[in-house]
Amino acid sequence: MWEIMSSRSTDAALLVDDQDTGPQGSVVLEARGAGKRYPGVIALDDVSISMRRGEIHALLGENGAGKSTLIGILSGITEPDSGEIIIDATPIKFSNAAQSQSVGITTIHQEQTLAPDLTVLENIFLGRELRRGSLLGRFLLDERAMRKRVEHLVEEFGLTAEDLRRPAGTLGALKQHAAQILKALAFDARVVILDEPTSGLADHERMSLFENMRRLRDRGVAILWVTHRLDELFGLADVITVLRDGRNVATVDPGTQTPDSLVRLMVGRRRSAVADNSSQARGTRWSGPEEEILRLESVSRAPLVRDVDLVVKRGEILGIAGIAGAGRTELARIILGADRADKGQISVNGKQVRIRNPRDAYNLGIAIVPEERKTQAVLGDFSLAKNISISDLSRVTRAGMIIDRSAERKLANVYVRDLEVKTSGIQQKIRNLSGGNQQKVVIARCLFTRPALMIFDEPTQGIDVAAKNEVYRLIYEFVDAGGGAIVISSELPELLRVSDRIVVMREGRVAGEVAAGPAQSEDERSDRAEVIMALAVRSSS
Amino acid sequence: MRIRERLANIAAVEGVVVALIFLAMIIFFSLSSPYFLGSQNLRNLFVESTFTVLLAAGTSYVLIVGGIDLSIGSVLGVSAGLTLLTMQKTNSLPLAIAVGLASGAAIGLLNGGLIAGMGINPFIVTLATLSIFAGGLNVLTTRAQLIGTPSKSFASLAQGSVFGLPSPVLITAIVVILLELVLIVTPFGRRIYAAGINDRAAHMAGVNLRRLRLQVYILSGAIAGLAGILLASKLNSVQPGLGSGYELTAIAAAVIGGVGLSGGQGSVWRSVIGALFLATLSQGMQLLSISSTWFTVVTGISIVAAIAFSRMTQRLAATVRPAASPPEPTQPEPEPSEDRTPAAAG
Repeated sequence: MWEIMSSRSTDAALLVDDQDTGPQGSVVLEARGAGKRYPGVIALDDVSISMRRGEIHALLGENGAGKSTLIGILSGITEPDSGEIIIDATPIKFSNAAQSQSVGITTIHQEQTLAPDLTVLENIFLGRELRRGSLLGRFLLDERAMRKRVEHLVEEFGLTAEDLRRPAGTLGALKQHAAQILKALAFDARVVILDEPTSGLADHERMSLFENMRRLRDRGVAILWVTHRLDELFGLADVITVLRDGRNVATVDPGTQTPDSLVRLMVGRRRSAVADNSSQARGTRWSGPEEEILRLESVSRAPLVRDVDLVVKRGEILGIAGIAGAGRTELARIILGADRADKGQISVNGKQVRIRNPRDAYNLGIAIVPEERKTQAVLGDFSLAKNISISDLSRVTRAGMIIDRSAERKLANVYVRDLEVKTSGIQQKIRNLSGGNQQKVVIARCLFTRPALMIFDEPTQGIDVAAKNEVYRLIYEFVDAGGGAIVISSELPELLRVSDRIVVMREGRVAGEVAAGPAQSEDERSDRAEVIMALAVRSSS
Repeated sequence: MRIRERLANIAAVEGVVVALIFLAMIIFFSLSSPYFLGSQNLRNLFVESTFTVLLAAGTSYVLIVGGIDLSIGSVLGVSAGLTLLTMQKTNSLPLAIAVGLASGAAIGLLNGGLIAGMGINPFIVTLATLSIFAGGLNVLTTRAQLIGTPSKSFASLAQGSVFGLPSPVLITAIVVILLELVLIVTPFGRRIYAAGINDRAAHMAGVNLRRLRLQVYILSGAIAGLAGILLASKLNSVQPGLGSGYELTAIAAAVIGGVGLSGGQGSVWRSVIGALFLATLSQGMQLLSISSTWFTVVTGISIVAAIAFSRMTQRLAATVRPAASPPEPTQPEPEPSEDRTPAAAG
């Protein structure tokens, strides 16, 4: 039988363990003195890191610390200005991502990169399809061979043979991750870079992902794991590298560290510990009348939202919990008018309203900080000022039709200063900010409309600990001044921390409500967390 | 400062490159032919280019919002036909102008309604309306003799002059300046860019995409209608097939000027430069006695060259480190109480 594929990707080489690449613990990939400058910023400054076979190497750092740049360099997307990359003791230069892949480095990004309409199998072999042996067969795909190559891996990583035939877009986030892992393994990945793999996953899904990571490790794969969640690290990471301001400040053994000590390494001497005491962060609560801002009555939109009733009052933070697919984001989209409800009533400030589109919502005083900042919130080519003013241009418009640019800049600058956005100026393009600072600009955009109700959908997704605390502060300030907030989050500790009440959604319905609030003991908190998880996952009968 | 950096800084100013090439071309033609800078020739050049300039200006709105309008050529034809027909029947200039503009706007409304209201792909919608209204003009010209109207005032729209300037040039200049201003200084223009940069984000930020797109297509149709009125006045007759191919010239002009097809970038004046570039090229080739059959070949080459050149300058600008970049404002505050540096413990 004749195959067009290169010898590296024949069936015999499939199992990584079969490869003769040295024992567990030998260095596979190394970056030495890597540096990268962008206009006005040194993104990476003389960073060295080495990755070993069968090792989970965690990479920590605040937003803007240089993690993305380092990943970009290792995966061939970014060209370093200085330093070198060494594979199997040979220096190598990548000029594109394909070259990095061809030596066995696979990057699994924060955003899912599977083609949603192709099946999982097609995705796994995308661009590297196996073909039939005969002369004419070269033009035909050999689906059987492709299936055979991955089938023994399928169940191990939590997929079923049936899943291979389904379009990738119909799978949940966890299974999509598993598919990406298979994609890496089918082509002898020796290094797998996981860029915040757990964001967007519910707690029990994260556990399955960690199992998958351990399996990868057992196969001798070196894993570089970027995460913001310090609690995940212990017991899983074998070694931790911390970046700060583009430098490698420490490569440490997790056994010698605590979450607090890691935070100190990440933020330097600026902050001494995580401010994990919400009562401290929250200022004087709203003492005015607790009027209803929003009331939903049996709001439905088939099939994801069913008969939802809820109320948000002034000065209150309502958390919405639930696993992925419970209908939380869909509910937020209905409130915002991005989707229309099939039935049910929405009242704002006691008056029944129809919200036909987000414009209507903003006019009623409802604003949203959407999930997926990059695709749903950020206007990349716009300056900070233009990003902030876009939702309420009437505030800076003179004579009803002309934007007063200097007024716009001045006003936007007030928000940038209040929210402590780190930027070189109001005219900087938002694209060039770090994730946490982009998120602050999006919050500034909402505050700029002077809303009565703000919806925060996964507000701290993909941003670092310090930026998270600042986002919490902004939410508190908003409600303590008489606003109402809805916070949707997949991170239970976060919800328990910021919310006054938590509504749990399951399969589109409100499954129950749990009191939260600041003055809780640790025991009380974990009790509540258990109650919420039980409500969120209990199967309906 | 190294030459490379200087070049990069110059190229970084939007639209400068096309403008410079345009200037170089004018110098080349004026050296090659003594007639090129003659007042009669310049007059012809500007009058001939007004139609493309108008269409290109209107189409830049559509391109920036992230759409495309292929129907403008046939809108121009239909509007020209209806304008002349109204002139013939009523001899009322204001009514004829109103009919010309309204017919363009109405087709724009149809396009926009299908695209924004029903969510059909703009390429397909406007390809269909292009065909429908090109056919409509053919039907119209077989039913009515669209040749000539004795009205002097109608003729003066495109053939007269004001303060020595040809009136179509003056009209076009005013419209183009207005369009540029609206795009740059009004909330409407700002939302057009926002929708083009990231439509989902603009939507979540409260930009009413449906209404915005509808407005843009109506505007595009009305501008094409205006071009139709001027062309009818200039030719004083309307033939089947009038306006066909104009849409591609207009889009080519916008692309040469540097308006992106993916939305969110470009401006009206850049499209206008592109349109003038093409008109000058055509005129210059005539003066040099190059067969006009070569013109479309040169247009195609210009498009490719313009794109390739802008990619090159982008890359150049990206590799050169700007000298005058602002310093990073993030300075960690020293904390006196804690003196030990976090060292590697592993």
